[in-house]
Amino acid sequence: MSDTKIISEVKKNGVSRRSLLTSMGLGAGVIATTGLLSACSTVAPTGSAAATGGAAAAGSIGGSVYDAEIKKLVAGRELQVGWTPPILSEFFNQMENAAFGRMAELEAAYGVKWKWERSSPTGNFDAVEQQISTVRGWTTRKFDAVLVCTGANFATMQDVYTEAADSGTSVFQFNQPVEIYEPDQISTVSNIGYDNRSQSGYLAGKFIADTLGGKGKVIQIMGPSGSDWTKARLIGFAKAMAENPGMEVVGSADGGYVREKGLNAAQDLLTRFRDVNAIYGENEDMALGALQAVEAAGLKLWDGTDGIVIIGADGLISGMDSIVAGKLTATIDVGSVDQGRTFIDTIFHNVVLGESVGKFIEVPTRVVTKTNVAAAQAYINNALKPAKTY
Amino acid sequence: MSVRTRLTQTLAIDGLPVAAALALAVVFFSLASPFFLTQENISNLLTQSLFVIILAAGMTFVLIVGGFDLSVGAATGLSAATTMLVLMNGGALPLGILAGIATGMAFGIINGFFIAVMEINAFIVTLATLSIGAGALQVLTTGTQLTGVSLPAFAWLTKGSILGIPTGVVITLVIVAALEWVLLFTTFGRTIFAVGTNPRAAFLAGTPVRRLTFSVYLLSGTIAGLAGVLLASHLNSVQPGLGQGYELSAIAAAVLGGVSLAGGRGSVWRAVIGALFLATMAQGLQLIGVDPLWFSIVTGASIVIAVAFDRAVQQWVIKQLAAATTKRQIFDDSDASASVSADAPTTSATRSSVRNTK
Amino acid sequence: MIAITAPSQRFSRLLANPSAGAILLLVILIVAMSVAFPNFFTGINAGNVSNQMVFVLLLALGMTVVLITGGIDLSVGSVMGLSAGIGAYTITSGAPLVVGLLTTMAVGAFLGLINGIMITKLGLPDFIATLAMLGVARGALFLWTGGVPIIGYMLPEYYVISGLSQPFGFITVPILIAIVAVVVVAVVLKFTSYGRHAYGLGSSPHAAVLSGVPVARIKVIAYMISGLMAGVAGMIMAGRNTTVAPTMGLGYEVAAIAAAIIGGAALGGGRGSAFGAVIGALVLSITANAINIAGVSSSWQQVVTGGVLLLAVVFDRVSSLIRARSARLATRLAHA
Repeated sequence: MSDTKIISEVKKNGVSRRSLLTSMGLGAGVIATTGLLSACSTVAPTGSAAATGGAAAAGSIGGSVYDAEIKKLVAGRELQVGWTPPILSEFFNQMENAAFGRMAELEAAYGVKWKWERSSPTGNFDAVEQQISTVRGWTTRKFDAVLVCTGANFATMQDVYTEAADSGTSVFQFNQPVEIYEPDQISTVSNIGYDNRSQSGYLAGKFIADTLGGKGKVIQIMGPSGSDWTKARLIGFAKAMAENPGMEVVGSADGGYVREKGLNAAQDLLTRFRDVNAIYGENEDMALGALQAVEAAGLKLWDGTDGIVIIGADGLISGMDSIVAGKLTATIDVGSVDQGRTFIDTIFHNVVLGESVGKFIEVPTRVVTKTNVAAAQAYINNALKPAKTY
Repeated sequence: MSVRTRLTQTLAIDGLPVAAALALAVVFFSLASPFFLTQENISNLLTQSLFVIILAAGMTFVLIVGGFDLSVGAATGLSAATTMLVLMNGGALPLGILAGIATGMAFGIINGFFIAVMEINAFIVTLATLSIGAGALQVLTTGTQLTGVSLPAFAWLTKGSILGIPTGVVITLVIVAALEWVLLFTTFGRTIFAVGTNPRAAFLAGTPVRRLTFSVYLLSGTIAGLAGVLLASHLNSVQPGLGQGYELSAIAAAVLGGVSLAGGRGSVWRAVIGALFLATMAQGLQLIGVDPLWFSIVTGASIVIAVAFDRAVQQWVIKQLAAATTKRQIFDDSDASASVSADAPTTSATRSSVRNTK
Repeated sequence: MIAITAPSQRFSRLLANPSAGAILLLVILIVAMSVAFPNFFTGINAGNVSNQMVFVLLLALGMTVVLITGGIDLSVGSVMGLSAGIGAYTITSGAPLVVGLLTTMAVGAFLGLINGIMITKLGLPDFIATLAMLGVARGALFLWTGGVPIIGYMLPEYYVISGLSQPFGFITVPILIAIVAVVVVAVVLKFTSYGRHAYGLGSSPHAAVLSGVPVARIKVIAYMISGLMAGVAGMIMAGRNTTVAPTMGLGYEVAAIAAAIIGGAALGGGRGSAFGAVIGALVLSITANAINIAGVSSSWQQVVTGGVLLLAVVFDRVSSLIRARSARLATRLAHA
């Protein structure tokens, strides 16, 4: 028990230093959502820490003496890193570019060299097995660090991670819904992500309830049943619905995380429930599909006083464009950029400097609406132009 | 015997080009990556490809009778789930294995009933059972975690070793050898070739076509059940979507190894070579650090080249034999090509040879 | 005598349609859903279903032609994605809409041509050639886009072409395109020498070769039609989704083959019709629509879909058995 306490202390320290280093440009997005975040039962420590972050002088990270000393410790070491997202998408592209940005900064400041390898299935078949064999292959090739986000079974992956650790490869997970598993069963060094329950599902449910004044009918378009993300987000969303007895989930359908299925599902549900007040798309692509269904059905989109509220989750440039255009009501930005920067920092601290890192590192997430969309979008756009790609 | 004749005879052996392609791939990857020929990697490669190898071996029988079984992936996944369920609830290991195999057999019986007895299209029947099986796996795995069996004997099925060879590999070898024996040396094996080549003629000759077709699907289902048991042991967990896509890999492996989709042609070892080739390509590309986005392109292209090469060789052989027979002034040209096509009647090859003669 | 045989003759004429089983299932499905859910049998829902079925229908039409010649095309889903991507890209780089749309269709037909060449000239089995194309086209789309969806091609006219804006009520442009495609394919199959050759090739390849049918050309054209249909479907879906994600069309080949086979096409070749493809696509689309409207839990969706598929073919089989029996009865009566 005391062990976990110590770890969480370390985590807090690690995070606050890191966020001092990384939070350039977070700005209004975070500040606007801190209120919402603190409403959750499990507030991510990074939430408040990141908001206090300030900009460091360009090029220098910890002051010139610190930088020079760290550079000595690094001694020009080359780090071979493998990164495997479950699929290539806009979301993971934002994350990869953010990682590149941070890698370039660390390389400039400390002389650490990166060898980056990306590996993602195309979704045709054997996607899950492919990721398992990818991690095994990287282990065989003695990679220094491996970053994984996967739909493969939890228990299977823990075996794969243990094998990797035994042969000297440090495994980190990102964007993985680890919160629905027992912490001591997770055999990675660290997990960089967010709590899908409190930092995504709950936020979406609460936003809908608050916007509609606690009363209304909701349709949910879910990801594939059985997926860990779907399970976790649904727990949070259901909690928010339960806190608002006036809210009623009237219909639910499987949108498979893709737009055309989200569109079809929303069209079909709108046929049966024409009087809905809100649609919850469990990811952004499905929310955008639902948006098209609402438009095609000639129904009114939320304009601040009435219409159908539509909220997604991911935080994509394309979703934010839709918010700017006044179509999508809101989305949950789950920190694609911060996840990318943070997992690079975590690897640097742990693998290169040999420091301890927290087992669960949660980045800030935020509800993006018309009010704060400019800041959120600028942050991602900035990350999409890294100084160097790997 | 001239060198040329001997060459012709050797090349007339079906599946040789794919075996050559496999050998070439192994040599290439061994040179390109120091990790390829390590014991760790070879055992990884074999263990990961076991399931597709086993399924491809079973699929060979279905393809030989001119059938199709899309449900083997879903059957594998669901069999793994029932095995896990039994073992998690305290069932003995033999009971768990039996449950898995029985699940696979159930798929075989349902497929066999609709295809052989009701005479419904195999593609659509097995597509439907695929969908039902994958859905049932979803239902079973929603809510409960199928994992955490700590029976040493169960883990030994894939993770142990016999005389230094991984147990899973030994089991697979036994299955493959048994199936090849059935195909080559039993009446059952010989008759299914007859059924696949010409079902009507076989029927008129008094062959119990229905019963044979039924048994072939039963066999394929049972094999999928076995694969499921091994998969459950390998992963020690079952999740929704498990086994998805195995059917395509198995069919691709068999066809790559020269098993004809039109029926009447194929052998188990060739399907195994096809499966090994696909697995080696994936593993090798992974080891030399190629982005998996290239996998499907490189694998696709290598399949095209391997099969096109196979076909070119067959053409050459036919031409050589035809030339030889003309020399001997035997005009019955069809007889000569028939001696090749007894083993290799590639429809397109014969078709274009017809075109060539015009 | 006539009085007795007339109704049975009418019955057997009804059953003579090769899609009779699927039609029966369709009627049962619609009636059951209409009784259970008053919102099901409405103009709006009919509009939904017809707009949703366009993709599977177009792909199933092309697939039917390929199946008739005795082939199979596993690549349509990937071809649909890649051609939509290339078409969208030409528009974003400044080409007029028409050029973009034509490019989409041309890429589809071109990939079909490559399939056809691999099969007829290189002698690859249909399954292997189109499976390779499935992998190559999808891989190319992922590599090219890096996973990032293509956007910025949605000119105002594209909203009309994709059916997102509906100036003519629920008869949208995609529905009109689908109707045209059905009619064209039906005419080609029924009234042209190409159609006769295709059926002949499928039912007896050897006889077709011997009677001088240009086998290679018939096959290549079949794959080009299938590729073209995939291109058209991709063109419409690019508009409907407003972005081209690299996963576009993933898995659609299975739906297309299933629809064609439910509609009476056979894997062995020689059977199938454009009308059958319509029925098959309807069965699949109405099932998906009914699952959403009835609120079937998503865990059970696949089970239900599989069950309906199985029912469709069982109905088909039973109706053909009845057909055969009534035909025997008719001959016996005629002899008497």
